[in-house]
Amino acid sequence: MSPAEDRPPTSTLFVSGLSHHSAPLAVRERLAMEEDKLREILADLAGRGVVAEVAVLSTCNRVEIYGVAEVPAEARAAGFRQLGAYRGVPMSVIEPLLYTFTDAEAVRHLFRVTASLDSMLVGEPQITGQVKDAFVLAQACGTVGSVLHAAMTQAFNVAKKVRTETGIGRHAVSLSHAAVELARKIFGALEGKAVLFLGAGEMGELAARHMSEQGALPLYVANRTAARAEDLARELHGTAVPFERFARLLSEVDIVIASTAAPEPIVRVADIPAALAGRGTRPLFFIDLGVPRNVEARVNDLDGVFCYDVDDLRAVVESNLRERQREAQRAEALVAREVARFSVRLHDLDVVPTIVSLRDKLEAMRQAEVDKALARLPDASPETRRALEGLSQAIVNKVLHGPIVKLRDSSRAGHGRRWMETISELFGLSRRGGTEPDR
Amino acid sequence: MNAVLFDVALTAYIVAAVAAAASLRGRRERLVSFVDWLTGAGWVCHTVSLAMRWVETGRAPLFTLAEAVSVVIWAAVAWQLWAERRYRARVLGAFVLPVVLVLGLLLPTGLRSMALPASLPSGWIWAHVGLALVGLAALVLNFAGALMYLIQERQLKARRPGTWYYQLPSLETLDRLTFRTLTVGFPFLTAGLALGVIWAVRAWGTVWTWDPLSIFSLVMWVIYALTLSGRAVGHWHGRRAAWLAVAGFCTLLFTLGASVLVQGRHGS
Repeated sequence: MSPAEDRPPTSTLFVSGLSHHSAPLAVRERLAMEEDKLREILADLAGRGVVAEVAVLSTCNRVEIYGVAEVPAEARAAGFRQLGAYRGVPMSVIEPLLYTFTDAEAVRHLFRVTASLDSMLVGEPQITGQVKDAFVLAQACGTVGSVLHAAMTQAFNVAKKVRTETGIGRHAVSLSHAAVELARKIFGALEGKAVLFLGAGEMGELAARHMSEQGALPLYVANRTAARAEDLARELHGTAVPFERFARLLSEVDIVIASTAAPEPIVRVADIPAALAGRGTRPLFFIDLGVPRNVEARVNDLDGVFCYDVDDLRAVVESNLRERQREAQRAEALVAREVARFSVRLHDLDVVPTIVSLRDKLEAMRQAEVDKALARLPDASPETRRALEGLSQAIVNKVLHGPIVKLRDSSRAGHGRRWMETISELFGLSRRGGTEPDR
Repeated sequence: MNAVLFDVALTAYIVAAVAAAASLRGRRERLVSFVDWLTGAGWVCHTVSLAMRWVETGRAPLFTLAEAVSVVIWAAVAWQLWAERRYRARVLGAFVLPVVLVLGLLLPTGLRSMALPASLPSGWIWAHVGLALVGLAALVLNFAGALMYLIQERQLKARRPGTWYYQLPSLETLDRLTFRTLTVGFPFLTAGLALGVIWAVRAWGTVWTWDPLSIFSLVMWVIYALTLSGRAVGHWHGRRAAWLAVAGFCTLLFTLGASVLVQGRHGS
């Protein structure tokens, strides 16, 4: 079998699936599959011949089939029927939630998904790795061909470019990360910065954890319940201190995370001058996660003291999100350029099988005719044989030149399919298996 | 030829300054790299232009106001390129280059030549001027760092982040930058001024003359000396140090202005 017949000359790159944009969580969570189920589906789809290439992306926010098929609708139906069958979701539920894109639109979707532009939280970094996993799994199952390989490899390049050339993932979009980011804007690196964690709120714990991951040290934990402080300190690799002693610690620490359920402020403006006296002019940063607030807001007015409450952190997060949106627009423009560039490549890939089978066909004819001629010339000298070979080769190349150029050009202009069909028809090029697909 | 090269360098600085300002609006990595590259290229042209002038005139290019300003710009850009790498503060250009430009564009307006009397250029007078100028250039950066510090501190205090919050480095970095440029610039300035005093004693037989450049130089030196000693003692960090840097830079501008506008022993 010649390589030309690996893929039918008129197959299409497509993506079909559902995501948080189109489907409720109730459906998504049931269709999210573990790896061995995905393997079965890949093997089945490829085995039945409905797709030439296929990969399945399955995360909690999207289930998508990427593939190359002669009839995408057929592949989509087969794929999702089987996915649904595993979890008892009827096709009638899935079908209305599905979207399908083909050719350049499919490339655009793949690039956007991989670059985290289509994510629920735009710019979140996990999705790129998840697409990579889908790609690796499909490769392991042998269902990746030249088109998917080219498209996905390029998608990873584009995702990387988006990440480095735009600020899409640069700023924190959770309160605890925003607190860390603020601390870094004040202190630069957090290595060796002392943190005092007051109380036990979940968000405060998260912020404390992020800070010690960034090298903040030492970490003191104070709680009205001594046992709770001990537990937390162990968990966060910190030191438990008696709650009554925290005011004295203020002069030593750089960052205070306050997250207690106290009904009124436990850190007062009056406490601060004493805390500042012993510390030179190192800044003091209060992160007040208490509601009602644990720190009197006016401490922010003191020189070298910064105090952010929950609302302030929320404002930072909102601003960060706006910043992300702005960067996302730049990323969209970048993706659009890359899609245009890749479409040209895709179109070239598209016509390659037709060109190869055309060349093979003419080569076979040529060889047959040369053999026939030589059979009639048993005494032909080597020069004559060479001349015959050369002559026939030259004719074949001249004949091929026009159709090949026409195919490439028309494919790049977006109407390659018509010409591929015409040329296949004219030269009697065969399709895989020799049968017409049923539509 | 050296004039042409200077124009090329100045044009590069102008374009780089505009691009640096534009890059503040949303960090364009390529734009930032472009600014860096252009500034570097401009600086190389500038260096060649200064060297050619030195060779042409057979003396250090320090004795007209135009030359002096040119050297300040040259040194300031050099400090900027160094500090951007050292502190990874690539937005520095947006603050230093405009200052450089204002100085640079004053050049061709034909300010009065400050050529010294023929009797003066004894062998090492150029060291007095040169050291003082290189020190001044570092203090241009000191000012830029202080300005950035004050802006960032204001943003953080206001608790509502804006463009500056995203674009400027951390307070800690800016504080270190301000301090470092002061510790680098101040010795140059001091050495330059000290040479001036020694030279004045030998030339005029007096330690001090009441001409404007001397007066402002002294005030400037005192302010920077205060800032430095305040920091060394350990309490004048952050905002206070930044405001002192701004005050110091204002007297620096007065000093330059005095040398241009007022007749004095330095000028006649």
